[in-house]
Amino acid sequence: MRSLPLPLVVLFALLAPRARAGEVVPPEVVTRVEAVAPATAPPPSQDHVLLEFTVTVEGRAGDVVVLESAGPAWDAAAREALSRWVFKPAVHEGTIVASRTRLSFAMPAVLLARDGGQPDDADAGSAAHPPHSSEVIEDGADGAHADHAMSTVITGRLLPKSRGASDLNIEVGKLSLVPVQTAGERLKLAPGVLLTNEGGDGHPERIFMRGFDAREGQDIELSVDGVPVNDSGNLHGNGYADLNFIIPELVENLRVIEGPFDPRQGNYAVAGSAEYELGLAKKGLTVKASAGSFNAQRLVLLWSPESASSRTYGGVSLQRADGFGQNRGSQSARAAAGYEGRLSETTSFRVRAIGYTAGFRSAGVVRDDDFRAGRLGFFDTYDARQGGDATRASVSGDVHYHLGSFTAHQQAALVFRSSRVRENFTGFLSDVQLPRQSPHGQRGDLIDRDSEAVTVSARGYGKLRKRLFEQSQELELGYFARYDVVQGQQQRLLGGDSNTPYAKDYDLSSRLSDVGLYADANLNFTSWLSLRGGVRADLLTYLVNNACAVNDVRRPSPSNAPGDASCLSQRDFGQYREPTERVSAFGTAVMPRVSLLVGPFKGVTVTGSFGDGVRSIDPQFVSENKETPFAAIRAWEGGVVFADKLFDERLDFSARGVVFGTRVDKDLVFSEQEGRNVIGGSTSRLGGLLQARARSSLFDVQAHATFVRSQFDDTGLLVPYVPDLVVRFDGAVFHDLPWKLLGAPVKASAGVGVTYVGRRALPFGQRSDVIFVTDANAELAWRWVTVGLSATNLFDNRYRLSEFNFASDFQTTPPFPTLVPVRHFTAGAPRALMLTLAFNVGGAS
Amino acid sequence: MRRLGLALGVALAGCGSSTGNALVSFRATAGAAPEVGAVTGQPLRFTSARGFDVTLTTARVFVGALYLSTVEPTTASGALEAPCVSPGITTGEVRGGLEVDALDPTPQPFPAEGLGSDLPTRSASLWLTNGDVNAPDERTVVLRVEGTASRGADVYPFVGSVRIGSNRVTPPRNPALPSSNPICEQRIVTPIAFDATLSPGATVQLFVDPRAYFASVDFATLEPVSQAPATYRFRDETASAAQADTALFNALRANQGPYRLELTP
Repeated sequence: MRSLPLPLVVLFALLAPRARAGEVVPPEVVTRVEAVAPATAPPPSQDHVLLEFTVTVEGRAGDVVVLESAGPAWDAAAREALSRWVFKPAVHEGTIVASRTRLSFAMPAVLLARDGGQPDDADAGSAAHPPHSSEVIEDGADGAHADHAMSTVITGRLLPKSRGASDLNIEVGKLSLVPVQTAGERLKLAPGVLLTNEGGDGHPERIFMRGFDAREGQDIELSVDGVPVNDSGNLHGNGYADLNFIIPELVENLRVIEGPFDPRQGNYAVAGSAEYELGLAKKGLTVKASAGSFNAQRLVLLWSPESASSRTYGGVSLQRADGFGQNRGSQSARAAAGYEGRLSETTSFRVRAIGYTAGFRSAGVVRDDDFRAGRLGFFDTYDARQGGDATRASVSGDVHYHLGSFTAHQQAALVFRSSRVRENFTGFLSDVQLPRQSPHGQRGDLIDRDSEAVTVSARGYGKLRKRLFEQSQELELGYFARYDVVQGQQQRLLGGDSNTPYAKDYDLSSRLSDVGLYADANLNFTSWLSLRGGVRADLLTYLVNNACAVNDVRRPSPSNAPGDASCLSQRDFGQYREPTERVSAFGTAVMPRVSLLVGPFKGVTVTGSFGDGVRSIDPQFVSENKETPFAAIRAWEGGVVFADKLFDERLDFSARGVVFGTRVDKDLVFSEQEGRNVIGGSTSRLGGLLQARARSSLFDVQAHATFVRSQFDDTGLLVPYVPDLVVRFDGAVFHDLPWKLLGAPVKASAGVGVTYVGRRALPFGQRSDVIFVTDANAELAWRWVTVGLSATNLFDNRYRLSEFNFASDFQTTPPFPTLVPVRHFTAGAPRALMLTLAFNVGGAS
Repeated sequence: MRRLGLALGVALAGCGSSTGNALVSFRATAGAAPEVGAVTGQPLRFTSARGFDVTLTTARVFVGALYLSTVEPTTASGALEAPCVSPGITTGEVRGGLEVDALDPTPQPFPAEGLGSDLPTRSASLWLTNGDVNAPDERTVVLRVEGTASRGADVYPFVGSVRIGSNRVTPPRNPALPSSNPICEQRIVTPIAFDATLSPGATVQLFVDPRAYFASVDFATLEPVSQAPATYRFRDETASAAQADTALFNALRANQGPYRLELTP
């Protein structure tokens, strides 16, 4: 008999039912520490302090809120003691999760004895507990100590049940030590994600996920605390998503589903979806000031009150930088605030507001032949007018009701956003001389694209739990609705230093709506067999008013010459017509999604998922009264997930392996002349990924590798630009230094992120260079001050972030235009150092 | 499990690991077509379709650039309003001027390396200019001819030089279409049929048949410029009503006759 591969041996060795699927195992106390009497405090107003806090996945208490006070000094004593408690975290379906917990922290008898109405003198309590000392007791070891009644209550929002191995609930946690420039970069924690940026700081990142070129998010449904981020109707690309409005320090959690496997996923969930959850665990007021290479400066103010959960916070950031080469400066301001409160014991609510504005310059692409010939530097630009600006303002609120077996949730949001992007990919190439126009040469290909939109959205659900067949069963019915009013224009500007448009490509006013309904069931047949899924249906409608509907006339009238205007008011032979045209269209998509989970057995769960998803098309491509076409995706995957605590529960370890396949009937392919993705043919993907994360009290490390082959269905040729191999490592170590400074510990921490991207397929059978970049960060924290030094591209590798093969003519070798495809690239950033000084007032040191 | 892994590996590797096609560089040369029978350094003698016996001592054509395209020649010729330059369809380019001695069959290399792709080439364009193809004026002489034509007792020693600048501007055919006859159309000879697929290191050969320039020329309509010795010349302007002037200019820009391309792997 041939031997089994090692992974299977391990898997089968672990096979033994362990916990019921679908149930939460509440946190347990491992180590508790009694409070120390405040030396000079007035008597406690009652015999206990009721605390509410989160038991983190590390087994520590966070987000501590005093619900019932015994007096400020006694509250502080209780909090101080609780900060030293160690818990065994809650387990949800075999996965360690954070949980919200209440604790009635009873004062030890020795403290209550002092509660005779007379404050003790300084040394009265020292017989039992010397000041500034504490007694560490292993749970259950000493029953004589005061009772700490603990109950787990649901004050947060339960995450939807896992949809399989590619449903990644990523708690950023200590991996926040890995330096990032933007909140979007946190997506790198998900396997198979590569971010590039042709547009510079302030421009949304181009996201590649598991074999998809999602451009600026067009193939990924992105949301922040449930508020949609994708811009429907944006001329840059339907679904364009700019995550730059998020203050990175406020990213508390990230749920990424790679693939359309959850009925809650809506439009744009082609490659998958990502939902950011904002919050601030660090209490008090934090001020961070950073300065570094290329005259980068950043100032951040963060605040979360002691008595509130992490979902009550405020944050403001201002930053600017000259950039690492020509025309790369940027400036931005961000503000975000959130409040979590309770309407009753069963009902909580959250409100949030976000503001963002940014202006940035962009270097754009560089032709490789110009760089090699010395005509242009690696970090230079052809057109210094490239860049853009962006604004976003949003308010949102939700109400969450939970009582017994029923949960209801309702959210509404109002979002205003505008963006302007100026890009020139081709130089002087695309300006075709029309016979009706005055004679002209190439006037320039700088695209000036502007979009302004208001979005009203709502989502909600009701969930019912029942116990049937001795198992917990769930049924959820929900909806999603959004209505967008979008204005979009695209113009082309004259070359040189001009800001003068010579042509208008688009002038659209769109009213778009998307209403989705879904039903989702979580059926547990046994304690180890679950079937999750349901169906989602979306109705999308378009009302598009094209103010530039006529761009040319075949037989113009000599007496009514159309001239050079872009938007004409005539038909053949000079007959008048309005330049506008309205188009109404609609479409419905029905998408089944299902996941089968077997396990956990000793922490191992085997999963399989299947699902359909859609992406709506751009408003400029819809036709009157025709069924609105979608890009439809069908995806499947199989995976194995392991999650458990190892080595006497000192190591929190999880790992997964996934094999996946997808097919899209209308994929997006980058068009350099449009400066955006355009609809192409059908494509398929087949790939696999491995991911593992290990956390302890000393370190938090994660690594993942994804290999995928993306090809066109008709020819079998590779889809260009998509990386087939992405490897990422994130790691953080943190510990107190062995010595103290003025009696207080010095906490040291460091983080490192390493990205490796294999040679990407480029058009015309070529391959890009490899990307290998290391980012690192080190911090020292003492009491209320933290000093940090971060380095991006630590080894100063000169690399090409994006590479393309297409035709362009930047008129660097006149007089004849160059019309054949050649290599272009955008420069990756060189090493940049950033020194940060942070102060925290009012939070735990 | 091992079989599953093997199957997955095969599937991932696939039958091809490319986006298809390739970028190539190539050489380009030009010279007298072999069928002309020209001998280096010697005049070329031939009889034109109009019955003139022509002795050609100079025939030099300036080719500023050569572009290859995926566009079928029949399609291109039928596109009345086709722009001079259409982006996205070019399969090859040689950008660097060469004054081709059309009486010399020796391959004369273009000074610039050709760049392109192995997409199927269906047609070619010759840019008879040494500057911006849209420039209102251009002083470069793109054709220089000299020789003697005779028919019976009539002898016509001739010289000619052709520029395509402001002297060749053609008014628009419709006031509402001011760019319906752009100057670039005068300067670009297209589409020349060329069915080929470029490969790395290949050579694109441009063959020029100088006889075709004079196929329709009625030398009797030439303008005399001196009596002793008798000399005639081709007038270098569109406004000329002389048949010989028009015929030579049209032949210079004809996409069939004077020019032929071949690919040598």
